[in-house]
Amino acid sequence: MPALVSKGLRDYRRSLVRWTVGIGAFFGLYLSFYPNISQNQEIYGPQALAKFPGAMRDLMGGMQDFTSGVGYLHSVVYQLFGPMLFVVCAAILGNRAIAQPEETGTLELTVTLPVDRRRLVFERFAALALGLLGVAAATFLFAWALSAAVDMDVASGRILAAHTGVFLLGLFFGALSLAVGAATGRRGPAMAVVGVVAVGGYIVETMGRNVDAISWLRWVSPFHYYLDGRPLYQGFPVGDYLVLAGATVVLLLTAILAFDRRDVGV
Amino acid sequence: MTAVVETEGLTKFYGRRRGLEDLDLEIRPGEVFGYLGPNGAGKTTTIRLLLDVIRPTRGRMSVLGTDPRDPAVRGRIGYLPGELALEGREKASEYLAFLGRVRGGVSRDRIAVLADRLDADLSVPMGRLSKGNKQKVGLIQAFMHEPEFLILDEPTGGLDPLVQQEFLAMVREVRGSGRTVLMSSHVLAEVENVADRVGIVRSGRLVAVEDVAALREKAVRRIELHFDAPVPREDFEGLPGVRDLRVEGASVSCTIDGRPDALVKAAARFTVVHLVSAEPDLEEIFLTYYSESEEEEGRHARAGV
Repeated sequence: MPALVSKGLRDYRRSLVRWTVGIGAFFGLYLSFYPNISQNQEIYGPQALAKFPGAMRDLMGGMQDFTSGVGYLHSVVYQLFGPMLFVVCAAILGNRAIAQPEETGTLELTVTLPVDRRRLVFERFAALALGLLGVAAATFLFAWALSAAVDMDVASGRILAAHTGVFLLGLFFGALSLAVGAATGRRGPAMAVVGVVAVGGYIVETMGRNVDAISWLRWVSPFHYYLDGRPLYQGFPVGDYLVLAGATVVLLLTAILAFDRRDVGV
Repeated sequence: MTAVVETEGLTKFYGRRRGLEDLDLEIRPGEVFGYLGPNGAGKTTTIRLLLDVIRPTRGRMSVLGTDPRDPAVRGRIGYLPGELALEGREKASEYLAFLGRVRGGVSRDRIAVLADRLDADLSVPMGRLSKGNKQKVGLIQAFMHEPEFLILDEPTGGLDPLVQQEFLAMVREVRGSGRTVLMSSHVLAEVENVADRVGIVRSGRLVAVEDVAALREKAVRRIELHFDAPVPREDFEGLPGVRDLRVEGASVSCTIDGRPDALVKAAARFTVVHLVSAEPDLEEIFLTYYSESEEEEGRHARAGV
């Protein structure tokens, strides 16, 4: 493994363990409520959910079906909170690739190593991607085991499809934060851009289903390429995932070119 | 032999603020070059340009015969940043091992020897190191791969006097093995004992490059001579380079500009029992350069109004 990748993973190690534990705890907590909900259809059934305002149901991804295994898993874990946890984790890791070390000054020595600047960004991204993959793999195994334990009756392939989407979405936002950090050298703007794109993107994708005025914006929302294919119900939306992966590559190339051109630490 | 550093009209502006303008600098193989100037004069800007951390606004430079944009050349350089940032839970020894690996391999023993010389503890997490200990780690990483060219930005900051002596010995060894050193400082005293030449930079411009030996020759020094019997004043009057002459019985004291040759020859006619020569105050010459260029700047400024 190239020295910069292993160094990056070493720097991320503690953070990765914490995120894995945190996301795992989230899964564990929410999935442990499932038996109670599936046994009380009359409380959590469609009639109960219909009481919520329409816009709120849209934001929560519809909430048509809360009591079946796949419906619960989707509404509670894979609609909003699961992806958002991955997005925040990846954005923080992305910020630690360039912007944070540049602000604290540790990047100065790194750029004077006999490593091409473009390779430096690429290897930092590789560490980010591998780290995030580790978190995704560990939490997938946990989610799969847990869903089997509480009899959710969801095929492991479908969970894998949804989890892959969450990983790709997270990686996209990690690359976004890395790209803004690589271009500006500052943490603040990187986090701000990620925040705006993530929250805005999510609202546009969910509300846009029923609001014509913004529905055309859905196709620029990263969440569209994860949520629209309903992976938990329909399996891998290959085309959509390729778009997410492609956009990530574009962001990575932007980061590489931007960082290669500019002064570091001024 | 080609120069280790060669720059022509090297200029760097940060937006509209001048960092460095029209630098023509040559650093020769095997020399220790002292790069002097007050804080903010452009020393760090020059160094960061040479290492491709920042890019010139205009001008040309070559380092070890190639463009610093070529990453391979940086493997032949050891660099100590002026503001070295080391942080986190990582141990200094792990960080040094990482840097060594990227630079093509440095043996553990080599690192241990340097740590021992500088009395550095590498088992402590870097975030908890004091300023002086961080500086030691910085010096170890700069020296450990035995680079052909060492660039040290304010290397002695935070080091205690004993470690400073050890550091100067390390610099002399580097020169002894024919390698080159560029070290910056804002005080001459820090570099005058090891540097062969010094360049003085002020407000983004190189105002002088001097041989340290020549600088010493130009230096003003006080000399006191004591004889076994009173001497006549006339024999010491009007000697070239002698000023502020005082003759009191058997002792003569004066200030020398440049060479003390004439004075020594005049004194040789009598029996000298004791001679005191104060260390030349290079700092004074150095400050003269500063103030001269300051006046010049002032004139430019007035002319510009």
